[in-house]
Amino acid sequence: MADTCNQTTVNNASTTGVGTIRLNNIQKIQMRKQQVREWPHPKKLEKLAVYSSCKVDESCKCNGWKNPPAPTNVNTMPGMNIALPTANLTDPCRSCSHTLSEHVSHLLNSTNEELNQLLSLVVDIENLFVCVNKEEDPDNKQVYFCLFKLLRKCIMQMTKPVVEGPLGSPPFEKLSISKGVANFVMFKYSQQTPKEFQKMGDLAKMFIHCLNHWKLETPTQWKQHYPQADLSVYRMSYTRWLCYCNVPTYCDSLPCYDTSAIFGRTFLRLIYSTVQRQLMDRFIAEKDRLPPERRDMIINQFPKFLADMEMELGNDASPVWDPSYVHRPANHHENIKDENVAQPGEATFHRLTTNGIVRSISKDAEKNLLKRQADNESSTEGDTKRLRLSDDISEETVAQILAVINDPKKMLGPESVFPENAPRDEAAKQEERRGLISFHVVGNSLTQTVSKQTMSWLVGLQNVFSHQLPRMPKEYITRLVFDCKHRTLALIKDGRPIGGICFRMFPTQGFTEIVFCAVTSSEQVKGYGTHLMNHIKDYHIKHNVLHFLTFADEYAIGYFKKQGFSKEIKLPKSVYNGYIKDYEGATLMGCELNPRIIYTEFTAIIRKQKEIVKHLIEMKQQEISQVHPGLNCFKDGVREIPIDSIPGLKLTGWRPSHGYGSKRVIEETFDAEQLYQALRSVLNQVRSHPSSWPFLKPVDRAEVPDYYDHIKFPMDLKTMGDRLKNRYYVHRKLFMADISRMFSNCRHYNEADTEYCKCANALEKYYIAKMKDAGLWEK
Amino acid sequence: MALSLDSATQQVQERLKGIYKLVKQIQEEKIRNEGNLNAVIKAHEKLQSDDKISPYHKSKLKGLYCSVVADAEKEEDLIRKALSKIYEIRVIRHERRIQAKQAGSKETIRRGALMKMLLITAQTLPLWISKTGQQPPALCGAVPADPTYVAKLGDIVAALVKSTDGDENWILAEVVQYLASSGRYEVDDIDEEQKERHTLSKRRIIPLPLMRANPETDPDALFPKGATVMALYPQTTCFYKAVINQLPQTAQDEYQVLFEDSSYSEGFSPPLMVAQRYVIAIKEKKK
Repeated sequence: MADTCNQTTVNNASTTGVGTIRLNNIQKIQMRKQQVREWPHPKKLEKLAVYSSCKVDESCKCNGWKNPPAPTNVNTMPGMNIALPTANLTDPCRSCSHTLSEHVSHLLNSTNEELNQLLSLVVDIENLFVCVNKEEDPDNKQVYFCLFKLLRKCIMQMTKPVVEGPLGSPPFEKLSISKGVANFVMFKYSQQTPKEFQKMGDLAKMFIHCLNHWKLETPTQWKQHYPQADLSVYRMSYTRWLCYCNVPTYCDSLPCYDTSAIFGRTFLRLIYSTVQRQLMDRFIAEKDRLPPERRDMIINQFPKFLADMEMELGNDASPVWDPSYVHRPANHHENIKDENVAQPGEATFHRLTTNGIVRSISKDAEKNLLKRQADNESSTEGDTKRLRLSDDISEETVAQILAVINDPKKMLGPESVFPENAPRDEAAKQEERRGLISFHVVGNSLTQTVSKQTMSWLVGLQNVFSHQLPRMPKEYITRLVFDCKHRTLALIKDGRPIGGICFRMFPTQGFTEIVFCAVTSSEQVKGYGTHLMNHIKDYHIKHNVLHFLTFADEYAIGYFKKQGFSKEIKLPKSVYNGYIKDYEGATLMGCELNPRIIYTEFTAIIRKQKEIVKHLIEMKQQEISQVHPGLNCFKDGVREIPIDSIPGLKLTGWRPSHGYGSKRVIEETFDAEQLYQALRSVLNQVRSHPSSWPFLKPVDRAEVPDYYDHIKFPMDLKTMGDRLKNRYYVHRKLFMADISRMFSNCRHYNEADTEYCKCANALEKYYIAKMKDAGLWEK
Repeated sequence: MALSLDSATQQVQERLKGIYKLVKQIQEEKIRNEGNLNAVIKAHEKLQSDDKISPYHKSKLKGLYCSVVADAEKEEDLIRKALSKIYEIRVIRHERRIQAKQAGSKETIRRGALMKMLLITAQTLPLWISKTGQQPPALCGAVPADPTYVAKLGDIVAALVKSTDGDENWILAEVVQYLASSGRYEVDDIDEEQKERHTLSKRRIIPLPLMRANPETDPDALFPKGATVMALYPQTTCFYKAVINQLPQTAQDEYQVLFEDSSYSEGFSPPLMVAQRYVIAIKEKKK
């Protein structure tokens, strides 16, 4: 019967993974299926009858037509089947004596296609049958048998095979291996040169490919490697892998999944060290057959990749396995590299280079300023694009201002003469730049050796905390500072810690508890506390943990408020309850981080923006300097005049806005979902307006060749629909900015009396009305 | 004359320009004086080899010395001019602060800024540069004030105040006025967060030094090692009992002191640096 698959299973069991032999077997199986499909109809029915229960009546329990012993078992060559005489529909079953037709009555109306599908199942069943018989490993045998039964059942009931029961259904972990590995590559290598990054990306692809074709050790083999470990966990994963990844490669009636797509970190941890070892062994054994450029990559780079991967895999706090991990584009936070994340021992903040700062600040400031100018659009990362076309500030102007405010000689304003007005953390930042102070994340470890320096710093930190927090029992402080799950951001001056923040990260809960926070008394009020907090914020953004919680005593509340903490906790209680240490008489405070902010640069950027705006105002003032006589009308009893009638006001660039007061109200009353629905409705109405036709799609370059020479920031209703779907419009102003860009583009490119502009006018009027209806427009 | 922030800035900048010019002049002067100095050195070398001083050489040498002294005086004059500019800047900043305060300006400075200001004013406290034979005056370094001395408006003093819980503390305070009739001072806590104004008898006020003593020229005007003093605890506005551990070596150095602190097992804090301005003689409480 199932002659083709003897070889299959035997070979399959002996290959360790990416074999070529199995491919041949799969080809054989495919050939077999092809043959079966070409059988004449009666023969197909006969075959299926073997796997179909007798339909005569309820009482007949026969589960498959058994043909008379006669000539069929002579058949050993698969190709000969066609030539052999087929049984008749009237032939009786050896088991229940009912006819063949009574076993296949349910199939008589089936299409050939349906029959072929069932026959494909039959081939798989026969393969599995051989597997069951040949297999010696008890675990495998059991799984094969279960699958065999499952497929049989499917033929009888004519259902699609789905593995059910205690195995659960894929995916088995929230974050798949392939996603985790991709995260890992971004996280670990995106700061390197593009070439290096590309290489690591290729290695990651190769790793995933190998993993998908990896033949797992049977639980028995595994047990020999890890006699101490819990076998049941491995057995479960192994069974899942057999049913969803391995067997389906040759039984294609079962749904097939990639190992890397349905398993996650837990699974990878179970098999990693074996995979790592065997993979390298095999590559080394085969290295002479590899092309030279690949040989270099595999022999020299792959071990490092695998080792890095192993570190990240073993690190519970690693962000790359967090389902919500989002890689932030490079150059953001690039200055605070944290190379040793995987090591619980210590992680160091790299000192910022002055150059880098200036560059990133001016870029950001520029960006931000431009954004401001762009009609107050709220900002999305890196979006300098949506600018107003007409009243934009030229690049030269901005560059000129930046040159002035970056030039210390020209900045002899009050700030440098009266330095007490400088931002709170400025002095600390300068000291860090000059190398007088440095920041390091340190922690104790039980599994890795902790350097002597780290230990002495931990002792120093313990001293600082116990002196500054006299109400905390010393033993308690010691216990937490030296606890392996706690880390401390240490502020080091003259080789000694003079302050620090002890914290515990709960990556699974998405928050960190600030446990102790202190600066030694003789070094207080120098901005160190603020700078420490900013560093720890940047550190957490890097690790993708965006919430801080802390219990603040009465003296600490002020500090935490200044650092952006509030008594209103944004996290649901269920997230932190039972995780965070509870203190009596202290106030729980929380802080949500915004990953778009570089906190250590925040004050400097804001200052710079302020300075730029100030310069712009000055420039404007010089341009339109003019003295108007005062207003007399109020003397005559006029109570109120329209603001825009005040002479000179419009000259300054002031434009009537639609009521200041109501703005706030609008923003606060809409939550994200409500806003989404409201904008969707407005957009739909606008789209179905008769004047919307010029705006429905992006302008076709083929039709209007020069359009994009004039219009740098095109916009249309389709793009807006896409943006809406992607939840880009988190604020109504973003939506308004896009649509007004669309109209202004139209008016910019087309003459006012064209049909297009008329459409724009009509549609805008309609749009404003709809916005008002939706309560999204200032009254 | 009211000093707005901008006009103060402008005035400070004028002084800075002046200093810039003076520093250049000083350098030029130095280069110019090198000729005479070299002549003196050469003359000495010649004398040493000659073994005998002829009257001609004697008078020539004397003439050379006279011109070198005149050169040095010129240089000194320039340096003192530059110094006076620095003191002017100090005064402007001081005035500006007093005026802002009197104007009731709510331009409160942050604590950190206050601390920084206190540090800067201590670093830029005028240095007493004695001429030959001059003794350091009162309120230079450790030299106490004359008993009849009255601190001026805006001067910073140490004041013994009673806090609400009954403890007495020496705090950093600013003189608002001296009531000659009652012999009492009105002072404000330097820490603006403490809104209280104190009226205190003269006994409870210790003026801070108005000048720094130069350890290299006036070592007697410093507290000796091991002396018990009162010193401003770094980054606070309170004076505490402390022992001098190390004297400043140069005019820019600070004292190294050990504060009495029972929270440390030895009874003293680790060594901390305190500027001359904030180290004063201790007034033992009378029992």
